[in-house]
Amino acid sequence: MSFEDWYRADRLPHIFCAGCGNGTIINCTLAAVEQMNWKREETVFVSGIGCSSRAPGYILTDSLHTTHGRAIAFATGVKMANPDLHVVVFTGDGDLAAIGGNHFIHGCRRNIDLTVVCMNNQIYGMTGGQGSPTTPKGALSTTTPYGCAETPFDLCDLAIAAGANYVSRWTSYHVKELEKAVKVGLETPGFSFIEALVQCPTAFGRRNKFRQVADHIEFLKTHSLLRAKRDRLLEKGEPVPEDMFVVGELMRRNRPAIGVKP
Amino acid sequence: MKLVIDENRCKGCNLCTKVCPYHIFREGKKLNRKGIAVPELDRPERCTNCRLRNLYGRQLCGVCQLTCPDQAIHWIDEEPYEPHKVAIEY
Ligand SMILES: Cc1ncc(C[n+]2csc(CCOP(=O)(O)OP(=O)(O)O)c2C)c(N)n1
Ligand code: SF4
Ligand code: SF4
Ligand code: SF4
Ligand SMILES: [Mg+2]
Repeated sequence: MSFEDWYRADRLPHIFCAGCGNGTIINCTLAAVEQMNWKREETVFVSGIGCSSRAPGYILTDSLHTTHGRAIAFATGVKMANPDLHVVVFTGDGDLAAIGGNHFIHGCRRNIDLTVVCMNNQIYGMTGGQGSPTTPKGALSTTTPYGCAETPFDLCDLAIAAGANYVSRWTSYHVKELEKAVKVGLETPGFSFIEALVQCPTAFGRRNKFRQVADHIEFLKTHSLLRAKRDRLLEKGEPVPEDMFVVGELMRRNRPAIGVKP
Repeated sequence: MKLVIDENRCKGCNLCTKVCPYHIFREGKKLNRKGIAVPELDRPERCTNCRLRNLYGRQLCGVCQLTCPDQAIHWIDEEPYEPHKVAIEY
């Protein structure tokens, strides 16, 4: 058995652009699910709207492809109606943090037993490349033609502040680490949030000096700062490089949760 | 085990050429019937998973397969030392 057995082979190849990182994140998530020995009938994938949200359509289990931003709301319904089900949510940065922002923070606050995997490509990919709440300062998009002037959300900080039990961040370069993080998320009762930074060559890379897909992967590799390293810098009172983002496990705790299998 | 790329799924993104520690994948030059330059394999028998999967009874490395966004990389069983009858023609 391997993660490939969870795909609907008849639906592949999928519609994602060449080099789109979404496929990598689905691989890593399914590889983690595969290790859980869950039955297909007891596993449900839920998503909203966006390129990333098309993921459940390629997976063999029952799934819900819902309305934009509402994946966590629907997943809450599924989980509360039948806590025996294992519910995994796929979402995008726009889906999760823009239109679905309130569902996200209240999912974390309730600490409902879901695992949410966010493919953060820092853009609205599906609708042609509008800026999202995670578009970095200075980045070009169709709605920020002179460079984004706003400060982006840190999705992991948001999840931690709102109360999620498990939070980690990796990228489409760190496939093994991401697989392990998703597995810990699936095992942890309560709300687990895993952010995966991904490349979107079509709507983001093309406009932001990542002409080749590999250039973006190289950026994700060289600009990620391990949490342990960041903590050491802070301890020594040295500055944390501003152009880097922290990766690794950022929170693991045991707040009261709801929807946990009795 | 033998490493293969599914030509129907590969979209030619060349991410596999970046992640394999042995540089087994090389950028393809010829376009296939879908207009995609599928990477070429350079001595794929060097792959950890090709060599040791059956011995260890589990998946080894597999970074290329996890990375490939298009689920195009697989391993198939092979029997390299199957005895062959040699027909001698006079
Ligand atoms: C209620 C509603 N508003 C707006 C849209 C248009 N829309 C579709 S996808 C999308 C953004 C998706 O962005 P993200 O969640 O980051 O997914 P990505 O395509 O980048 O993976 C928007 C605004 C919609 N489908 N429904
Ligand atoms: S537009 Fe971006 S996110 Fe959507 S499939 Fe293409 S590369 Fe992926
Ligand atoms: S990573 Fe996959 S899709 Fe991309 S070139 Fe390699 S085999 Fe093809
Ligand atoms: S499994 Fe590892 S060694 Fe084998 S081809 Fe893939 S990346 Fe290379
Ligand atoms: Mg997006």
